[in-house]
Amino acid sequence: MATSKLSPEVQSSLTRRSFISRAASGTVIAAMGGGMCYALSDRLTREARAMALDDGRPRLPPGQRALEALRPMGGTPGSPGITDFRLKIHGEVERPFELDWAGLLAQPQAELELDVHCVTGWSLLGAAWRGVRIKDLAAAAGLKPGARHIVFEAAHGYTANVPLREGLDPHAIVAHRLDGKPLARPHGAPARAVVPSLYFWKSAKWLIGIKFVARDEPGYWETRGYHNHADPWLEERYA
Amino acid sequence: MPDPRPTHRRTLMTRLRPWLRALHRDLGYLAVGLTVVYALSGIAVNHIADWDPNFDNFEARHQLALPLPADDQALADHLLRELAVADTPTEVYRSDTNEVSILLENRSFHVDTQTGAVLEDGQRPRFLLRVANWLHLNRGKKAWTYVADGYAGFLLILAATGLVMLPGRKGLIGRGGVMVALGVAVPVLYVTLSGGP
Repeated sequence: MATSKLSPEVQSSLTRRSFISRAASGTVIAAMGGGMCYALSDRLTREARAMALDDGRPRLPPGQRALEALRPMGGTPGSPGITDFRLKIHGEVERPFELDWAGLLAQPQAELELDVHCVTGWSLLGAAWRGVRIKDLAAAAGLKPGARHIVFEAAHGYTANVPLREGLDPHAIVAHRLDGKPLARPHGAPARAVVPSLYFWKSAKWLIGIKFVARDEPGYWETRGYHNHADPWLEERYA
Repeated sequence: MPDPRPTHRRTLMTRLRPWLRALHRDLGYLAVGLTVVYALSGIAVNHIADWDPNFDNFEARHQLALPLPADDQALADHLLRELAVADTPTEVYRSDTNEVSILLENRSFHVDTQTGAVLEDGQRPRFLLRVANWLHLNRGKKAWTYVADGYAGFLLILAATGLVMLPGRKGLIGRGGVMVALGVAVPVLYVTLSGGP
């Protein structure tokens, strides 16, 4: 054989060349297979891209892919129980107050079909959420004229800031049920914020407080390089 | 191998190289544990959109035969017996008119009292990864900040000593230099082509 006449150095180089070419071929084939599976399985996204909101914006913000179910996105879980649940409404309000679980359920309840959009690129469209409108809680507390922002306070010190305009939108709620079921633990049980007009990290899980503030207070992710506003249609993902 | 050249002809780098190698070797050993922690956690957290790097989240459906006990606590006892769950509930409460929620340490059961349908959801912490992520994301704060800074310093020393460890054709003036250029080119090209921050 011709290779037997080659020096060991050349033979070793051929072996290396053959290894690299095989590894490269394998990588390309795996990537093509994965891409094909991704494209075929993305019917939901194609359908969502064809839809528009009432104001003319596309229903699916740019760079998003539609999913069939909410994905748990981590975070340090708070207590999922209702016995120790307390939601504090405070800050720039005339009458700060605290709700326990029964108190939260005693508030006017909203049943809403909402789209939510995660900064990592997935969206869940039209899920049925149930909860209490944040604007109702603000009205009950008597918002002071100086209030400009809302800071959601969650378990283990997590915070997320939201401008008053988005936070008091009628679609922004403190949610405790999703698709007819109690909120699951990975999604912030027993209650979380849902602010559908902003990327989903703003919708703090394991919610324990809603603080109205006059001066903006960037939260956990906002101080770690994520966008302070986070409009999905403007792709405000990072600062 | 001892340098055959006379001592007066050795360059500063030639004399430093054994020390750099020793430093590189020992810091390399020291960094192994943390490199594994940070690398595994880095991969895990990079793909947070595809999975929860900290918890194995699960959901299951069960069916209880009717009729069910009318009392909520009795219903909880009945469910745990039927599903052979040994844990003690932390809370049992009416989560809706026809729904009883039973909370345990790492999972919850929600029972439809009309149909006997049971939805279970829960979270199991991932072995090792949860701790690795906790360290990587510096959630522990306090003294870990100093450990992480020290580790970053080690990596810088490893990179610097690695550059000059080998002389000749496989070193910085040969193949090593090409590899370093390639390694630097990856982030530079990515930032340039993607438009950057």
